Amino acid sequence: MKGTLKVDGKNPEATIRSLFARWLKESKLSAVLAPAYSTAGTATVALVSDPEKLSEAAPLLPAMGVNSASIVAEIAREASPNAKVGLFLRPCELRAVVELMKLKQVAPESLLLIGVDCPGTYKAAGFRNVRGKDADFDNRHVREQSGYAENVNFRTACQMCEYPKPLVFDLNVGFVGMDPDKELWIEAATDKGKALLEGVELDAQDEPQKRKQALEKLSAARKARTAARIEELDKAMMGPEKLVEYFADCLNCHNCMKVCPVCYCRECFFDSDTFQRDIAEHVRVSLRKGATRMPSETLLFHLTRMNHMMASCVQCGICEDSCPVTIGLATLFKKVSQNAQKEFDYVSGRSLDEPLPLVTFRESEFLKIGEG
Amino acid sequence: MPEAAATNPAAGVFEPKIVAFLCNWCSYAGADLAGISRIQYPPSIRVIRVPCSGRVDPFFILKALQSGADGVLVSGCHPGDCHYLTGNYVARRRFAVLNDLLEFAGIDPGRVSFSWVSAAEGERFAEVVRDVTEKVRQLGPNRKLLKEEVA
Repeated sequence: MKGTLKVDGKNPEATIRSLFARWLKESKLSAVLAPAYSTAGTATVALVSDPEKLSEAAPLLPAMGVNSASIVAEIAREASPNAKVGLFLRPCELRAVVELMKLKQVAPESLLLIGVDCPGTYKAAGFRNVRGKDADFDNRHVREQSGYAENVNFRTACQMCEYPKPLVFDLNVGFVGMDPDKELWIEAATDKGKALLEGVELDAQDEPQKRKQALEKLSAARKARTAARIEELDKAMMGPEKLVEYFADCLNCHNCMKVCPVCYCRECFFDSDTFQRDIAEHVRVSLRKGATRMPSETLLFHLTRMNHMMASCVQCGICEDSCPVTIGLATLFKKVSQNAQKEFDYVSGRSLDEPLPLVTFRESEFLKIGEG
Repeated sequence: MPEAAATNPAAGVFEPKIVAFLCNWCSYAGADLAGISRIQYPPSIRVIRVPCSGRVDPFFILKALQSGADGVLVSGCHPGDCHYLTGNYVARRRFAVLNDLLEFAGIDPGRVSFSWVSAAEGERFAEVVRDVTEKVRQLGPNRKLLKEEVA
């Protein structure tokens, strides 16, 4: 089921809010998880259950402080017959939720995946200043971004993102290639999504050509930009010791691991006893070189994290935003994970049915390994 | 014998240290067979016995390189012959990803070798060790991943 939804008062955000209100009142959903402004005007996320409190939700808020999939992993490890939560999330967040479902970290039964187009977001830190006092900021952003308008102030990862539209969803709300002051593009992909649309007045039609073209144009532009960024990275990485240099400022705070939506272990291997050594052992290691860098193991941590995450990384770049010493993790992970996923013809978060690449295999593949 | 000359430290030839992860069911038994058959191969490997090549976490490989190994060899049962049926197939995928990562990290993929050696292949095991040792010797000592020095 798909079609356009009329927007009232040139306010697409309010139109989406009234959809939420309808679903909450009709008890189709018991709560909605959506972006929201805090009382201090910062970008955050809210779980709204009372239709009267929907003004708290800002579904089109264009700033990202966390990848909400991390929140979903926290609240939806197990399903409950008493809760039906609509996840109103951006494409990278939904893709991470899909990966988490496959990793058995999120139970799908109590959740509805409601996506929204997202051509890019600002960093949550400092977003208050970007927005200023503009109460219509979200709608203005959507108006600007409904065509393709590159914005160099977007988060690094967003500037390289080729998925402005979610890949897996029950229902998606689109505005790219539309005139968001007049209408939104609504698309239900599953029965759960269709059930939400019962009673909603849609002008049923095929996806407008203009929208398809806008999405394609955006993807193509982003792919080109990604290629350019990776080329820059490759140049910066050429030569020995460059990798050490790239991570030289690392404080070993492990923020990148903590905020990563798909880095799912309850206790990180790097926080385990494996790395607890007594002082004599530290001195012994130091003696080999005369002097070793402390904290130690930072490079090993990053390489291992890369190795663990490559197959499921959704390239949301939230790791880079959380880094106190601004190590360029977004481009790094983009490159590494894209290459690894290509190897297995896999795209993280593309489908719930595709098995995770590292838990499956084909007998006749990588035949060169072990023979040379 | 050419290897005898090569393994002589007095000759000033670089002697690599190679950590070898051998699966209990095939390659470890293959190494054992090479031993009891008195087949000569360079004494460059330090063997760590693992239950299956699927047990080898890529972290082990990185850690070995960081701790000063010049090379790493991982050897398991031939694909299709895994004692646990599919362990080595899964391992193979992991190694494919690791190869990409090594290249990216600027570590010559030649330092990390994979092979499939059955319990009956003592001669093949010796050959694999000879090849791997020669390959790593050509690359010289490993400096890349060693614990970061201060200066």
